[in-house]
This record gives sequence, C-alpha cells and structure tokens, in this order.
Amino acid sequence: MPDAAMPASAPAAPTVSSHGQRRLATPERVLLALLVGELIWFSLAGTNFLTLDNGLEILRASTEVGLLALALTPVILTGGIDLSCGALLGLSAVVFGAIWRDAGQSITVAAAAAIGVGLVGGAINAWMVAGFGRPALIVTLGTASLFRGLAEGLTGGAVNYSGFPAAFLHLGQGRVLGLPTQAWVLIVAVALIAVLVHAATIGRGLRAIGYAPEGARFAGIPVGRRLALVYLLSGGAAGVAGLVYAARLGQARADAGTGFELSAITAVVLGGTSIFGGRGSVWGTILGLVALGVLTNGLRLADQPAELAGVLTGILLVVAIGVGARRGRT
Amino acid sequence: MNRPLWVALAWAALLALVAAVAPAFFDPVNVRDLIVRASPLLIVASGMTIVILARQIDISVGSQFAICGVVAGLLAREGVPMPLVAVGTMLAGAGLGAINGVLVARLGLPAIVVTLATLVAWREGLRFATEGVWVQDLPGTFQWFGLGQDIGRWLIGLGAGAVWAIVALVLGWTPAGRAVYATGSDAEVARLLGVRPTWVIGGSFVVMGALTGLAALLSAVQFIDVQANAGIGLELSVIAAVIVGGTAVSGGRGSLTGTLAGVALLATVGPALTFLGAPVAWERALQGAIILIAVSAEGFSRVRGVKERHA
Repeated sequence: MPDAAMPASAPAAPTVSSHGQRRLATPERVLLALLVGELIWFSLAGTNFLTLDNGLEILRASTEVGLLALALTPVILTGGIDLSCGALLGLSAVVFGAIWRDAGQSITVAAAAAIGVGLVGGAINAWMVAGFGRPALIVTLGTASLFRGLAEGLTGGAVNYSGFPAAFLHLGQGRVLGLPTQAWVLIVAVALIAVLVHAATIGRGLRAIGYAPEGARFAGIPVGRRLALVYLLSGGAAGVAGLVYAARLGQARADAGTGFELSAITAVVLGGTSIFGGRGSVWGTILGLVALGVLTNGLRLADQPAELAGVLTGILLVVAIGVGARRGRT
Repeated sequence: MNRPLWVALAWAALLALVAAVAPAFFDPVNVRDLIVRASPLLIVASGMTIVILARQIDISVGSQFAICGVVAGLLAREGVPMPLVAVGTMLAGAGLGAINGVLVARLGLPAIVVTLATLVAWREGLRFATEGVWVQDLPGTFQWFGLGQDIGRWLIGLGAGAVWAIVALVLGWTPAGRAVYATGSDAEVARLLGVRPTWVIGGSFVVMGALTGLAALLSAVQFIDVQANAGIGLELSVIAAVIVGGTAVSGGRGSLTGTLAGVALLATVGPALTFLGAPVAWERALQGAIILIAVSAEGFSRVRGVKERHA
C-alpha cells in the first residue's frame, strides 16, 4: 500500500518494479491495448461500426456518465467516493422539469435551478464528509437514498416531464460545429478537471490527501476545504448531467440516471485510478469511459445481447484492479 | 452512547405515533405481513453485519439474491424436494460469495470494487441466461413450502429470527465471532494473535452468500412464480439497516442487536407512512434522512469523545 512518498513524476509514467525492470503493464496501457482490440473486433464483426457518425453517437451516449466520472476522479483521488451522483442527476432532472412545467418558469431559470440543486446536494455531501469527518461511502449512500427519494416524492413516483422546447432539446439531440452539442460540455469539463488534477497545485494536494490525510494536514494542505471542493464539484457535475440527460431523452423522471454512479465508478477505476486514493489520472478516466462506451455500442451493432456488455464490464473491472494491485504491491 | 437503544426508542416513538393516529396498523394480519416482508431483509442484514464488522463490504448481494431465487425455482421445478432446494440455494449463494471472498481475501483486491464488478456481472449474466423470463410452472410444494400460507408465513418469520439469533450467538460468544471483530479492528494484530484474517474475510463473504441464498428462497416461496429481476437495490437497504444499527464501516465495532433495531425501524417506516396518510412515494427520502441522522449522530458523539482521524 502507498504509505510513504508521492510519485514525483506524472502518474502515467511506467513504474519500476523491485527488480528495476520497467513495467509495461500500467493500467492505462492495458486499457489502450484493450481499446484497440475492441475497435478491431467490432469493425470486423459489426456493421456501420467504424464510421464517424457512430463515433459521435458513442460520444453523445457517454456524456452524462462521462461528466459524473470526470468529477468523480478527484473525489476518488482523495480516497473518497460519491455514490449519490446518479441519484442527484435524477433529482436535478426532475426539479428542472417541475420548475419549467409546474412552476411555469423559463428554461433558463429551470436550468439554473437544476444546477443549483446539484450544487446544494454536493454541499450536503461536502458538509458531512469534510465538516463532520464521516466516511464518504456511508454519507453518499445516505444522500443517494435521500436524493432519489426526494425525486420520487416530488413526482409521486409517476410524473414524467416531457415536451421540452426544441431549443432545449438541441442540447441533447442536436449538433454544434459537427459535434453533438453536449460533447462541448464534456470537453469543457475535461479541460477543467484536467487542469484541477494535473496542472494546479490543488491536484497534488488531492493526491496527498488520498495517500495520507494526516500527513497532508501537516504539510499545510487545507484538507477540509479541498475535500469540500471535490464533493461540491461532483454535485455540480451531476446537476449539469441531469440537464443533458433531460435534453437527450426529452423527458425527466424520478428514475433518471439509475445506476449511473456505478458506470462512472467503473470508468474511473478501469482507468487506473486507485480506489484507495492517491494515484490516478484524468487521461485514464477518459480511456475507461471510451472503452465502456465502445464496448456497449459495438456489441449492439454486432447484434450481441446488451447484457454481454455488463458481464464483460464486470470481468474487465476485476482484471483492471488486479493489474493495478499487482503494480501497487511491487 | 448506546446506538441500538436509541434506534429502538425511535422505532417505539414511530409505533406510538402510528398507534395514536391509525390504530388499524396493529391489526394482526398487517403486523404479520410486515414481519414476513422484513424477514429476508433481516437475514441478509445479519450476513452484512459480519462482512462490515470484518471491515469489508458486499454490494453484490442484490444480484446474488436474484440468482439464488432463480436457482431455487429451477431446482423445485426439476422435482427436487424442498429441503434439498433450500440446501442447493444456500450452496449456490455460498459459491457466489466464495468468488467475492477469493478475489478480496486471497488476491487482496478492494471489496468495494470487486463486489461492484460482481454486482454488474451477475445481474447482467442472469438477464442474459433467463432473458428476463420468470420461473413458472412451479410445483405445489414450492409456494409456502406447500404448507399453506399461514404456516408458511410463520416458518419464514421464525426462520429469519433463528438465523438472526444464531449469527448473534456466534458473533458474541464464540472464538469465530471474536476473530471477526479482531480482524475488523486490526488485521495485523489479529494475525499476530493467531487469527487468520484471510480465512476470516473469505469466510465472511461465503456466509454472506449462503444467507443471501436463504433469504432469496424465503422471499421466493411467497409467490407463485420466481421473478428474474428480484433484489435490485437490496444492497442499499441492507447496508443502511446495518449502519443505522450502529455498526461502523471502519470495522470491528457493532452488534446484531443494532442491526435488528435498524431493520425494524427502516422496514416500519414505509408501511407506517401509508397508515399515517402520507404518500408512500416519500418512503425512500425518509429512509435516506434516517441514515444521514444516524451517520451525523455518530459524528457528534465521536467529536465529544475522543478526537480522532482526519476531517
């Protein structure tokens, strides 16, 4: 287990084993090899797989989980977790629908409220984890119930908001400059999180917290404020993802985003970020995301049952952490 | 601070409120249905208490639950006598638990990721195998064990109570139980004391699986057919009950008394809400609020006691 020094170099650098040999099997490289394998297999097995349009479709379908996974990366880097982001996505989508249709406000006001709900939800997690020092796993398990329950309560478990104006649906179904509209949101998120994790001193602090919170405190890192920041970000991302979800499907129901937190965690861990914190990269998360998106899409186009994607994802996840654990032990 | 006592008091207060507003809640038929519905939850929560005490977690129980239910149905349809169906279902669960156990204890992989992977893989694998079709045309001996619904309901309630009592006895009064607490408190110290943490952790997942199998059977026999998509989200209710009961996720602290109180409180909230005239759609929000109150209550008592760990 990581206990002493933080790596001085970038996390994607090849590790050196105890015998001094350079290890080739970093999680990112394994994933890259896997991705190439997927691409070759699906272009042979499926129809219309290797086309630009299909690539853009994969991007469109991956955006919501992508936003959650990107914001989860710094959370997991600190050794935390956010199980509530899928439920918060649902709550923000439902609040968006309720404010637009039931309260008769404009789309702009409703969208602001949805993102506000995400931030408030994130603030609750931040307050409990950073302020109270409670375990993130349990706090976010509780808030997952609370957020999903609020969405169910607000809609009576039955109301489905739909009939959004075309200008809003464009966010989820249209294209801007050749890319799906929401892909631009994802690109902005990638840039933001990548800067936060890799280019700012904050990112180094997050890793330090993941390795040893007590040590990070003695090193002068404001641990509470950093933790609050990452949970707040995760909540904000869930709010935005709720909007994208409503725009892509043209509807908002209480069960929106069910299980998305699991897909997001899978993408992050698949990308080589240690679930114990301290080690990982945004680059890995993007690779994990693409690998999952391509797998789901490719199996569908190859006329394989959709369930196969889930089974393979599970196996991939175990193999990926197996490789990661081996690396961690040397 | 005695958590089980506080939870039991909260439960009693809830019951008192219901008694004042809607005494019909205490109709024997309603109480009996409530107990029967909570029984599988109590069994899985008993297993989960062991796993969490050993400082692990198992979020794949919902998927194990679904697979075991289908296994029970298929065995019964093949004409296997019900006692053997019970054995077979528990063995199937123990097998699934053993896979988690090997990956976590033997290979040293983090339990949350391993069981996340098996959660997805088992659920989708079952969907792949059954294509969502329910197990139908079950023999008459399947529903309520062929004993009629009165005796069947008693049997389910008593079964759950017996499982709870046995696990409580083992955890509280045997070396095996102390090994679980020791491993969860500090695996290295436990090893120096002669406990083998690998076997304790692996074993706790196997027991968890076997108990999930039993719970799946006791849940399946309440119906004519076996659903192929049972147990979705079960892990959340179960972990919530254990945590509300005061068992610490950091391992080594907690008790089955607390788990019983947690299950009682969380299983009563929903039906009580209906009797109080509130829309049942708010049940989950209320459960979430209860979990958060329980979590922050522990925060307060810890801050007042010894200052430890980081923010």
